[in-house]
Amino acid sequence: MNVQFKKGVLNLCVLVLLDKQDRYGYELVQKISDQISISEGSVYPLLRRLTKEGYFTTYLQESSEGPPRKYYKLTDAGRAYLHEQLAEWRTFTDGVNALIKEGVQE
Amino acid sequence: MNKKKFFTHLKNNLTKLPHEERQEILQDYEEYFAIGQLDGKSEEHIATSLGSPKTIGKELSAAYHLEKAETTGSTGNLLRAIWAVIGLGFFNLIIVLGPFIALVALIVSGWVTGIGFTAAPLLILLNPILAPGTFELFDLFNSLALCGLGLFISIGMLYATKYFMNGFIRYMKFNGKLVKGGLTHVEH
Repeated sequence: MNVQFKKGVLNLCVLVLLDKQDRYGYELVQKISDQISISEGSVYPLLRRLTKEGYFTTYLQESSEGPPRKYYKLTDAGRAYLHEQLAEWRTFTDGVNALIKEGVQE
Repeated sequence: MNKKKFFTHLKNNLTKLPHEERQEILQDYEEYFAIGQLDGKSEEHIATSLGSPKTIGKELSAAYHLEKAETTGSTGNLLRAIWAVIGLGFFNLIIVLGPFIALVALIVSGWVTGIGFTAAPLLILLNPILAPGTFELFDLFNSLALCGLGLFISIGMLYATKYFMNGFIRYMKFNGKLVKGGLTHVEH
Protein backbone atom coordinates (compact mmCIF):
# COMPACT_ATOMS: atom_id res chain seq x y z
CA MET A 1 0.00 0.00 0.00
CA ASN A 2 0.92 3.61 -0.65
CA VAL A 3 3.50 5.07 1.75
CA GLN A 4 1.81 8.40 2.58
CA PHE A 5 -1.39 6.60 3.21
CA LYS A 6 0.07 4.28 5.79
CA LYS A 7 1.92 7.05 7.54
CA GLY A 8 -1.25 8.88 8.49
CA VAL A 9 -2.88 5.65 9.52
CA LEU A 10 0.06 4.64 11.69
CA ASN A 11 -0.36 7.81 13.71
CA LEU A 12 -3.96 6.93 14.41
CA CYS A 13 -3.16 3.27 15.20
CA VAL A 14 -0.69 4.25 17.92
CA LEU A 15 -3.10 6.75 19.47
CA VAL A 16 -5.96 4.25 19.43
CA LEU A 17 -3.86 1.52 21.05
CA LEU A 18 -2.95 3.81 23.94
CA ASP A 19 -6.45 5.01 24.68
CA LYS A 20 -7.41 2.24 27.12
CA GLN A 21 -4.02 1.28 28.52
CA ASP A 22 -0.35 2.24 28.56
CA ARG A 23 1.83 0.05 26.37
CA TYR A 24 5.54 -0.38 25.61
CA GLY A 25 7.11 0.08 22.20
CA TYR A 26 7.47 -3.56 21.25
CA GLU A 27 3.89 -4.26 22.15
CA LEU A 28 2.65 -1.34 20.04
CA VAL A 29 4.68 -2.44 17.04
CA GLN A 30 3.50 -6.06 17.29
CA LYS A 31 -0.13 -5.07 17.69
CA ILE A 32 0.04 -2.94 14.57
CA SER A 33 2.08 -5.32 12.45
CA ASP A 34 -0.35 -8.14 13.29
CA GLN A 35 -2.95 -6.18 11.33
CA ILE A 36 -1.09 -4.24 8.68
CA SER A 37 2.32 -4.68 7.12
CA ILE A 38 4.68 -1.92 8.22
CA SER A 39 8.37 -1.34 8.47
CA GLU A 40 8.60 -1.91 12.21
CA GLY A 41 11.50 0.45 12.78
CA SER A 42 9.45 3.45 11.76
CA VAL A 43 7.17 3.27 14.77
CA TYR A 44 9.86 4.54 17.16
CA PRO A 45 10.50 7.79 15.28
CA LEU A 46 6.75 8.34 15.36
CA LEU A 47 6.61 7.65 19.10
CA ARG A 48 9.46 10.08 19.70
CA ARG A 49 7.78 12.80 17.68
CA LEU A 50 4.41 12.43 19.40
CA THR A 51 6.13 12.38 22.80
CA LYS A 52 8.00 15.60 21.98
CA GLU A 53 4.80 17.21 20.80
CA GLY A 54 3.32 16.48 24.23
CA TYR A 55 0.82 13.80 23.27
CA PHE A 56 2.52 11.05 25.31
CA THR A 57 4.54 10.80 28.46
CA THR A 58 6.84 7.86 29.09
CA TYR A 59 7.94 5.93 32.15
CA LEU A 60 10.14 2.88 32.73
CA GLN A 61 8.75 -0.21 34.38
CA GLU A 62 10.57 -3.37 35.42
CA SER A 63 9.34 -6.57 33.86
CA SER A 64 9.50 -10.14 35.13
CA GLU A 65 11.98 -10.99 32.39
CA GLY A 66 14.34 -8.96 30.30
CA PRO A 67 15.17 -5.25 30.58
CA PRO A 68 12.87 -2.59 32.03
CA ARG A 69 10.34 -1.45 29.49
CA LYS A 70 9.51 2.08 28.41
CA TYR A 71 5.77 2.58 28.59
CA TYR A 72 3.88 5.24 26.67
CA LYS A 73 0.94 7.02 28.25
CA LEU A 74 -1.57 9.25 26.49
CA THR A 75 -1.78 12.81 27.89
CA ASP A 76 -4.93 14.94 27.84
CA ALA A 77 -3.62 16.69 24.76
CA GLY A 78 -2.99 13.28 23.24
CA ARG A 79 -6.52 12.16 23.94
CA ALA A 80 -7.92 15.31 22.33
CA TYR A 81 -5.67 14.69 19.34
CA LEU A 82 -6.89 11.09 19.14
CA HIS A 83 -10.52 12.16 18.96
CA GLU A 84 -9.73 14.75 16.35
CA GLN A 85 -7.87 12.19 14.21
CA LEU A 86 -10.57 9.61 14.72
CA ALA A 87 -13.30 11.99 13.54
CA GLU A 88 -11.19 12.81 10.48
CA TRP A 89 -10.64 9.15 9.76
CA ARG A 90 -14.35 8.36 9.96
CA THR A 91 -15.34 11.16 7.62
CA PHE A 92 -12.65 10.02 5.23
CA THR A 93 -13.52 6.31 5.22
CA ASP A 94 -17.26 7.02 5.03
CA GLY A 95 -16.60 9.07 1.93
CA VAL A 96 -14.40 6.44 0.31
CA ASN A 97 -16.84 3.65 1.19
CA ALA A 98 -19.71 5.59 -0.33
CA LEU A 99 -17.73 5.97 -3.54
CA ILE A 100 -16.84 2.27 -3.58
CA LYS A 101 -20.45 1.27 -3.07
CA GLU A 102 -21.53 3.51 -5.89
CA GLY A 103 -18.75 2.69 -8.29
CA VAL A 104 -17.75 -0.95 -7.98
CA GLN A 105 -19.90 -3.59 -9.61
CA GLU A 106 -20.74 -6.55 -7.45
CA MET B 1 21.64 -8.28 8.84
CA ASN B 2 22.38 -9.09 12.48
CA LYS B 3 21.92 -6.92 15.54
CA LYS B 4 25.48 -5.65 15.56
CA LYS B 5 25.31 -4.52 11.97
CA PHE B 6 21.95 -2.87 12.52
CA PHE B 7 23.35 -0.82 15.38
CA THR B 8 26.49 0.11 13.48
CA HIS B 9 24.43 1.49 10.60
CA LEU B 10 22.01 3.22 12.92
CA LYS B 11 24.82 4.87 14.92
CA ASN B 12 26.52 6.03 11.73
CA ASN B 13 23.40 7.92 10.80
CA LEU B 14 22.89 9.48 14.20
CA THR B 15 26.29 11.12 14.56
CA LYS B 16 24.87 14.64 14.22
CA LEU B 17 22.64 14.22 17.26
CA PRO B 18 23.64 15.15 20.81
CA HIS B 19 24.91 12.27 22.91
CA GLU B 20 21.86 12.05 25.14
CA GLU B 21 19.39 11.98 22.28
CA ARG B 22 21.39 9.28 20.52
CA GLN B 23 21.61 7.14 23.65
CA GLU B 24 17.86 7.34 24.10
CA ILE B 25 17.23 6.18 20.56
CA LEU B 26 19.72 3.33 20.80
CA GLN B 27 18.17 2.32 24.11
CA ASP B 28 14.74 2.09 22.46
CA TYR B 29 16.04 -0.28 19.80
CA GLU B 30 18.06 -2.27 22.36
CA GLU B 31 14.86 -2.80 24.29
CA TYR B 32 13.11 -3.83 21.11
CA PHE B 33 15.74 -6.48 20.32
CA ALA B 34 15.77 -7.79 23.90
CA ILE B 35 11.99 -8.23 24.08
CA GLY B 36 11.86 -9.67 20.57
CA GLN B 37 14.39 -12.31 21.53
CA LEU B 38 12.41 -13.18 24.66
CA ASP B 39 9.51 -13.56 22.27
CA GLY B 40 11.50 -16.27 20.50
CA LYS B 41 12.60 -14.30 17.45
CA SER B 42 16.09 -14.42 16.01
CA GLU B 43 18.29 -11.32 15.81
CA GLU B 44 18.21 -11.57 12.05
CA HIS B 45 14.46 -11.69 11.94
CA ILE B 46 14.08 -8.68 14.22
CA ALA B 47 16.64 -6.63 12.31
CA THR B 48 14.97 -7.41 8.99
CA SER B 49 11.49 -6.50 10.16
CA LEU B 50 12.73 -3.23 11.64
CA GLY B 51 13.70 -2.09 8.15
CA SER B 52 16.68 -0.05 7.01
CA PRO B 53 18.65 1.41 9.95
CA LYS B 54 19.99 4.02 7.55
CA THR B 55 16.50 5.31 6.75
CA ILE B 56 15.51 5.24 10.40
CA GLY B 57 18.63 7.17 11.40
CA LYS B 58 18.16 9.80 8.72
CA GLU B 59 14.55 10.35 9.63
CA LEU B 60 15.32 10.68 13.31
CA SER B 61 18.09 13.18 12.53
CA ALA B 62 15.90 15.26 10.24
CA ALA B 63 13.07 15.29 12.78
CA TYR B 64 15.44 16.35 15.56
CA HIS B 65 17.05 19.19 13.60
CA LEU B 66 13.76 20.51 12.29
CA GLU B 67 12.35 20.69 15.77
CA LYS B 68 15.52 22.37 17.00
CA ALA B 69 15.43 24.97 14.19
CA GLU B 70 11.83 25.69 14.99
CA THR B 71 12.32 26.19 18.72
CA THR B 72 15.59 28.14 18.68
CA GLY B 73 15.59 29.80 15.25
CA SER B 74 19.35 30.28 14.99
CA THR B 75 21.03 30.25 11.58
CA GLY B 76 23.26 27.32 12.49
CA ASN B 77 20.29 25.22 13.50
CA LEU B 78 18.43 26.18 10.34
CA LEU B 79 21.37 25.12 8.16
CA ARG B 80 21.68 21.81 10.02
CA ALA B 81 17.96 21.19 9.54
CA ILE B 82 18.21 21.92 5.83
CA TRP B 83 21.15 19.58 5.52
CA ALA B 84 19.30 16.79 7.36
CA VAL B 85 16.15 17.19 5.27
CA ILE B 86 18.19 17.11 2.09
CA GLY B 87 19.71 13.86 3.37
CA LEU B 88 16.28 12.25 3.19
CA GLY B 89 16.49 11.96 -0.56
CA PHE B 90 17.77 13.32 -3.83
CA PHE B 91 14.44 14.92 -4.68
CA ASN B 92 14.80 17.15 -1.65
CA LEU B 93 18.07 18.47 -2.97
CA ILE B 94 16.09 20.28 -5.63
CA ILE B 95 12.94 21.24 -3.83
CA VAL B 96 14.64 22.31 -0.59
CA LEU B 97 17.96 23.74 -1.71
CA GLY B 98 16.54 25.57 -4.75
CA PRO B 99 13.97 27.69 -2.92
CA PHE B 100 16.43 28.23 -0.09
CA ILE B 101 19.08 29.74 -2.36
CA ALA B 102 16.47 31.96 -4.00
CA LEU B 103 15.21 33.08 -0.61
CA VAL B 104 18.68 33.86 0.70
CA ALA B 105 19.45 35.84 -2.47
CA LEU B 106 16.30 37.89 -1.96
CA ILE B 107 17.07 38.57 1.68
CA VAL B 108 20.69 39.49 0.97
CA SER B 109 19.69 41.90 -1.80
CA GLY B 110 17.14 43.50 0.52
CA TRP B 111 19.78 44.05 3.17
CA VAL B 112 22.31 45.41 0.69
CA THR B 113 19.76 47.95 -0.56
CA GLY B 114 18.81 48.98 2.97
CA ILE B 115 22.36 49.36 4.21
CA GLY B 116 23.52 51.03 0.99
CA PHE B 117 20.79 53.67 1.18
CA THR B 118 21.45 54.29 4.84
CA ALA B 119 25.14 54.89 4.18
CA ALA B 120 24.50 57.31 1.30
CA PRO B 121 25.16 60.63 3.22
CA LEU B 122 28.43 59.24 4.45
CA LEU B 123 29.52 58.48 0.92
CA ILE B 124 28.48 61.96 -0.24
CA LEU B 125 30.63 63.50 2.49
CA LEU B 126 33.51 61.30 1.39
CA ASN B 127 33.13 62.52 -2.16
CA PRO B 128 34.79 65.99 -1.78
CA ILE B 129 37.74 64.36 -0.05
CA LEU B 130 38.34 61.99 -2.91
CA ALA B 131 37.43 64.46 -5.66
CA PRO B 132 37.58 68.07 -4.38
CA GLY B 133 35.20 70.59 -5.92
CA THR B 134 32.40 68.13 -6.73
CA PHE B 135 30.38 68.72 -3.56
CA GLU B 136 26.82 69.91 -4.06
CA LEU B 137 24.16 70.53 -1.43
CA PHE B 138 21.56 68.98 -3.72
CA ASP B 139 23.42 65.66 -3.49
CA LEU B 140 23.61 65.91 0.26
CA PHE B 141 19.86 66.45 0.71
CA ASN B 142 19.12 63.73 -1.75
CA SER B 143 21.33 61.35 0.15
CA LEU B 144 19.68 62.26 3.46
CA ALA B 145 16.33 61.28 1.98
CA LEU B 146 17.84 58.00 0.80
CA CYS B 147 19.23 57.45 4.30
CA GLY B 148 15.74 57.68 5.79
CA LEU B 149 14.39 55.32 3.19
CA GLY B 150 17.30 52.93 3.84
CA LEU B 151 16.51 52.88 7.56
CA PHE B 152 12.93 51.93 6.81
CA ILE B 153 14.04 49.19 4.42
CA SER B 154 16.50 47.80 7.00
CA ILE B 155 13.85 47.68 9.71
CA GLY B 156 11.48 46.00 7.27
CA MET B 157 14.18 43.46 6.40
CA LEU B 158 14.62 42.61 10.06
CA TYR B 159 11.01 41.45 10.19
CA ALA B 160 11.08 39.94 6.72
CA THR B 161 14.15 37.84 7.52
CA LYS B 162 12.55 36.36 10.62
CA TYR B 163 9.26 35.78 8.85
CA PHE B 164 10.86 34.11 5.82
CA MET B 165 13.02 31.81 7.93
CA ASN B 166 10.05 30.62 9.97
CA GLY B 167 8.09 30.11 6.78
CA PHE B 168 10.91 28.08 5.36
CA ILE B 169 10.97 25.73 8.35
CA ARG B 170 7.25 25.18 7.90
CA TYR B 171 7.85 24.52 4.24
CA MET B 172 10.43 21.86 5.08
CA LYS B 173 8.04 20.16 7.46
CA PHE B 174 5.34 20.18 4.83
CA ASN B 175 7.85 18.90 2.31
CA GLY B 176 8.78 16.08 4.67
CA LYS B 177 5.16 15.00 4.78
CA LEU B 178 4.72 15.35 1.04
CA VAL B 179 7.81 13.64 -0.24
CA LYS B 180 8.53 10.94 2.23
CA GLY B 181 5.08 10.33 3.57
CA GLY B 182 6.20 12.10 6.68
CA LEU B 183 9.48 12.13 8.45
CA THR B 184 8.39 8.79 9.73
CA HIS B 185 8.03 6.93 6.54
CA VAL B 186 6.48 3.52 6.35
CA GLU B 187 7.41 1.02 3.76
CA HIS B 188 7.38 -2.65 3.18
